[in-house]
Amino acid sequence: MKWVLIWLLRGYRFAISPLYGEVCRYYPSCSAYALEAVTVHGSIRGSWLGARRLLRCHPWAAGGVDPVPPARVSRRHRGYRRAKHPDSMSQRIQGA
Amino acid sequence: MFEFFGDVGGAIMAPLYFITSVILSGFHNLFGGIFGDDSGAAWALSIIGLTLVIRAALIPLFVKQIKSSRNMQLLQPKLKELRDKYGHDRERFAQEQMKLFKDTGTNPLASCLPLILQMPIFLSLFRLIDRAAHGETRGVLSQDQVDSLAQAKIFGARIADTFTGAEGESATAVRVLAGLLVIAMTATTFLTQRQLMTKNMPPDALKGQYAQQQKMLLYILPLVFAIGGIAFPIGVIIYWTTSNLWTMGQQFYVIRRNPAPGTPAAKAKEERDAHKRARKGLPEPESTGTTTTAVAAPSEAERRRQQPKKQSREQRKKGKGAPPRGSGRPAGGKPR
Repeated sequence: MKWVLIWLLRGYRFAISPLYGEVCRYYPSCSAYALEAVTVHGSIRGSWLGARRLLRCHPWAAGGVDPVPPARVSRRHRGYRRAKHPDSMSQRIQGA
Repeated sequence: MFEFFGDVGGAIMAPLYFITSVILSGFHNLFGGIFGDDSGAAWALSIIGLTLVIRAALIPLFVKQIKSSRNMQLLQPKLKELRDKYGHDRERFAQEQMKLFKDTGTNPLASCLPLILQMPIFLSLFRLIDRAAHGETRGVLSQDQVDSLAQAKIFGARIADTFTGAEGESATAVRVLAGLLVIAMTATTFLTQRQLMTKNMPPDALKGQYAQQQKMLLYILPLVFAIGGIAFPIGVIIYWTTSNLWTMGQQFYVIRRNPAPGTPAAKAKEERDAHKRARKGLPEPESTGTTTTAVAAPSEAERRRQQPKKQSREQRKKGKGAPPRGSGRPAGGKPR
């Protein structure tokens, strides 16, 4: 499920997003945010975060820098998680 | 599991089918009276009417966007500062730019809302026409209307047919029309983007990575439209093309009436305004002293101040034949 969403979002970012140019009032853009959210938080929480961000992106919003919240991990797994998902994750997605 | 997702999908689509079909059949009653109920012209015009209604309904969002970009003139020096500082780092520049927009309460970007609102309508029209081709009704359309829509032809092409699915004598017409509409969509989007780049952006914003990305876009555009043009029925492509035309018109309007300062479009507007003043015998803007012209004046001065620098650099280039400065970029990036 997670990978289906990731590929859908990548497809959107490659093919459909360019048709509309730059529209998002936030950094990272809504689709980059959703892609990162799903990658970091999984399909359920990631979709929820992405949907909430989309609803925030309207002409009455001030916009600004609005990064994806970091993954909630138990203290026990922190070291393991960090080794598996280094912090450069967000940069890699936004650069794509 | 699949049934569950089907039910959820049906519940989401039901109101969308309703909106789309009410507008469509409303227009069809109107145009059917003029061109005949089963004519392709009546159905094509109904689809165009649907597009216009949807886009017109989004005008308030557009107006809000224009209003919140009104103070861009004040931000221009700060943006230039940011561009000089972070121009090489697109990510960082985008971040700092967004921060600035938020802090000043000025944001020229449209937001994702218009897109998010249009996508379901587009999808429901696609499903509606696609189902009509199979004789099924959606929304408030009657069986008679659906049968009429499934058979209606515009320029010999069945509106409900797709490029690949077309059969019989109408197939060639469907393919030719789909091809022409794909070309029209590519052309309008291309023109919209190019106008934004060449007329409504300061020249120094068009350097480096950003310009490269924009160039890539020009190759992706026709590809995406071609895929869409093959997969979607003629009726959907009519909607898409009309929507693109609207976007283009809207942007032409903005760039003419509300250009970004320090760009060729802003210069053109100043010249037009000066002409208008001269014709009406009004005094120069300095003496009228309204806020907008007072703000515009420094940006104009700034633009002028840059020009001698540019010229002297070119003269130096011509005179000595040596590269002007180690800018770190390979030569021959941008023509013009």
